[in-house]
Amino acid sequence: MLEIQSISKSFPGVAALTDVSVDVRPGEIHALLGENGAGKSTLMRIMCGLLKPDSGRMALGGRPLFFEDAHDAIESRISIVHQEIQVVPLASVAENIMLDKLSAFRRGPFLDWRRLEEEARRYMGMVGLTVPCQTAAGTLSAAQKQLASIARALSSGARVLLLDEPTSSLTLHEARTLFALLRRLKAEGVAIVFVSHKLEEVLELCDVVTVLRDGRLIGTRPRQELNRDAIVEMMIGRSMRDAHRGFLPVRGGAPVLEVRKLKSEFFDGLDLALWPGEILGLYGLVGSGRTELARTLIGEYPYSGGEIRVRGERTRIRSVHDALHRYRIGYVSENRKEDGLILGASVTTNIAITIWPKLSGLLPGFLSPRRELEKSREMIARLEIRTPSPAQTVANLSGGNQQKVSIAKWLVAGCDILIIDEPTVGVDVGAKAYIHELIWRMASEEGKSVLLISSDMPEMVALARRILVFKQFRIVAELADLNRAQVANEEVGRRIGACLA
Amino acid sequence: MTEGGALGPAGVLRSFSRRADASAIAATTVLFLAFSLGTANFLSSFNQFNVWRAASQNVFIALGQAMVVLIGGMNLSLGAIGGLSVVVIGHSMEVLGFPPFLAIGLGLTTGLVCGLLNGFFISRFRLNSFVVTLASSFIFQGLVNGISQGRPYSKIPPSFTLVGKGELLGIPNLLLLVVLALVLVHVAFRYSVVGRQLLATGGNAETARLSGIKTGRMVLLANVLSGLFASLAAVLWVSRMGTAQPATGGDWLIVSFAVTVIGGTALSGGTISAPGFLFAGLLMALIRNGLIMLGVNVYFEQTYLGCIIMLAVMVEYFRTTVTGKARKL
Repeated sequence: MLEIQSISKSFPGVAALTDVSVDVRPGEIHALLGENGAGKSTLMRIMCGLLKPDSGRMALGGRPLFFEDAHDAIESRISIVHQEIQVVPLASVAENIMLDKLSAFRRGPFLDWRRLEEEARRYMGMVGLTVPCQTAAGTLSAAQKQLASIARALSSGARVLLLDEPTSSLTLHEARTLFALLRRLKAEGVAIVFVSHKLEEVLELCDVVTVLRDGRLIGTRPRQELNRDAIVEMMIGRSMRDAHRGFLPVRGGAPVLEVRKLKSEFFDGLDLALWPGEILGLYGLVGSGRTELARTLIGEYPYSGGEIRVRGERTRIRSVHDALHRYRIGYVSENRKEDGLILGASVTTNIAITIWPKLSGLLPGFLSPRRELEKSREMIARLEIRTPSPAQTVANLSGGNQQKVSIAKWLVAGCDILIIDEPTVGVDVGAKAYIHELIWRMASEEGKSVLLISSDMPEMVALARRILVFKQFRIVAELADLNRAQVANEEVGRRIGACLA
Repeated sequence: MTEGGALGPAGVLRSFSRRADASAIAATTVLFLAFSLGTANFLSSFNQFNVWRAASQNVFIALGQAMVVLIGGMNLSLGAIGGLSVVVIGHSMEVLGFPPFLAIGLGLTTGLVCGLLNGFFISRFRLNSFVVTLASSFIFQGLVNGISQGRPYSKIPPSFTLVGKGELLGIPNLLLLVVLALVLVHVAFRYSVVGRQLLATGGNAETARLSGIKTGRMVLLANVLSGLFASLAAVLWVSRMGTAQPATGGDWLIVSFAVTVIGGTALSGGTISAPGFLFAGLLMALIRNGLIMLGVNVYFEQTYLGCIIMLAVMVEYFRTTVTGKARKL
């Protein structure tokens, strides 16, 4: 249906795509995979008219396509749903769905609201969006916004639907709903191109898998011929098995971090203890209270009762400033782009930001740029951060390297309690393995204590040696035996599933 | 940058064009040459003295704005703070008979207190700086009118004008002061802990707070600095004019933003370019002076000023497009 023939595209200094051909057929869900920088986004942007290829041809049902802009693609019934969900927050859901074709609902100089909303409701029904159509789009959940975006694409009569990491901000349940919808659309003959970093969902959902690496086509193969390992091997060019990492030498005695009967806006008597050298996993669905706990521990959210003890000492942490400078607790945020990094600043600034007061130079209050650079180089080497120079702007690094920078700033400050929130969201497979290795080494070799928050089950099983299961702001179960005997991934998953049911 | 420091002419041009203040430097140089060749009296020492003094004044005004712009805020009450400081200085010397040093101290304290008030409301209640300083500008302006009753203070002791009207080796004292201030600003924002933390707060306040920086204090500090620079500009204004006019500060808002932006400090915060201020401040002074020299109808001055600011912004747009390094304005 949509044929991509020998497409090439270069940007100054990089060949983003070289001679890539893909054939997307109607009624199939086609996964487009590759590490960050493999060329997936470039290809998607070319398919929906946002970029023009340097060479090569595209055709839809045998008819050649020439896009001047995204509008031409929509005319050809190719629509994209972007990763960053785009809605006009103050406009109604109906308006958002019909945004690109408001002129179709004109009655004289005015809008025919009744007809617009009727039409919008039809597509909302199609995607299973059950809110009133006059709801302001800004008040919807991430999943509902996603559905509204898909409804917008469908209302343009899309025959080819491009989805760029559609599940990255969805909970498991919401993702399921989305998959059911995609299967229905597939049955209706829509061709779907699906980009995702989560191989589990690709294996579950997709019929055909195309893998890109370094801007080249590695292959297009039917799902049945592939398993997880085979896909990873295609993506990174070597095989990589998640071997069991062994056990952590957790030291007994007093816990390094202890929460007793914590009461706050979110929690009603929460208890938790973290021992030195331990990786304690906090598993749960998005919104189950894990991030709220993390942010309470670092003083971002207040608490009204109970106590938090660090190394046996009763604390009163009121800000990250206290957590960092008085208790050596670091927090790697789940949104590195929003609140984990200063994207416009250099690698050095982002790493050394936590230690500026300690880098004093000749005058009090002034820092020594030489020592700052030394520290930055030290962390770049230690975490193998791939950057042309310490002065490079962080925005220009890949997702994996950005994540390393946001971990580095706590390591450089000597934090030995680390709260790490969703460390590998939007990070490619190779960098993900490296970050896992890094977190493991911090605990096993340096004796750091880690609270690991993750919704990625394989990640949780690979790293955590004790898991607390969160549900609706309570801890509903503890898996305490993982550091004694090797438990199979499936078994852990089954047990957690049983706790959440 | 090429290795070993051996830059060809093309390389020099390229690395120059990457500077955030490149268009300010280029435009100022071109305009300076044009006026030198186009008018007879532009290069006269009398005229140069005045141009550079006006430029210096612009820089101090702009620094007041830049202190809050770099944390992603703004100060609409900058001119009103300047006006209030001027009136406080004039009133304390003419009406209360205070010596100049005390008057200067009171003037600077005025700026400090005004900035503290702005900063308190913005940081404590997490209010938008636009709204807070819009409201406070009325408060301060009302005090200006109320205290002065609209009349200028002309009994300023001659000793007060030593700085503003004097010179050292032919260079206006004001220019020396500006260069000193810019060096201090440059060093402070590059090497001091607080300076770096201010810039980090401007770069991304959430990230800064989650990295252990007390961002509330940074916002407060930035506003205090803004008020202080406004009152410092006011002290120098009185010193340059020899009178304390309550109307002072009326055009500071536009001047402060124009010099800040043209000088290469992004309105979205997180950066500051000290040399850019000098060139942009000079650019504004040149435009005013040059137009008079060219005999252009002065009633249209603001129109020309606006056109040239627009031109500077366009040049900046093309510069960033050509060098491929988009800067957030």
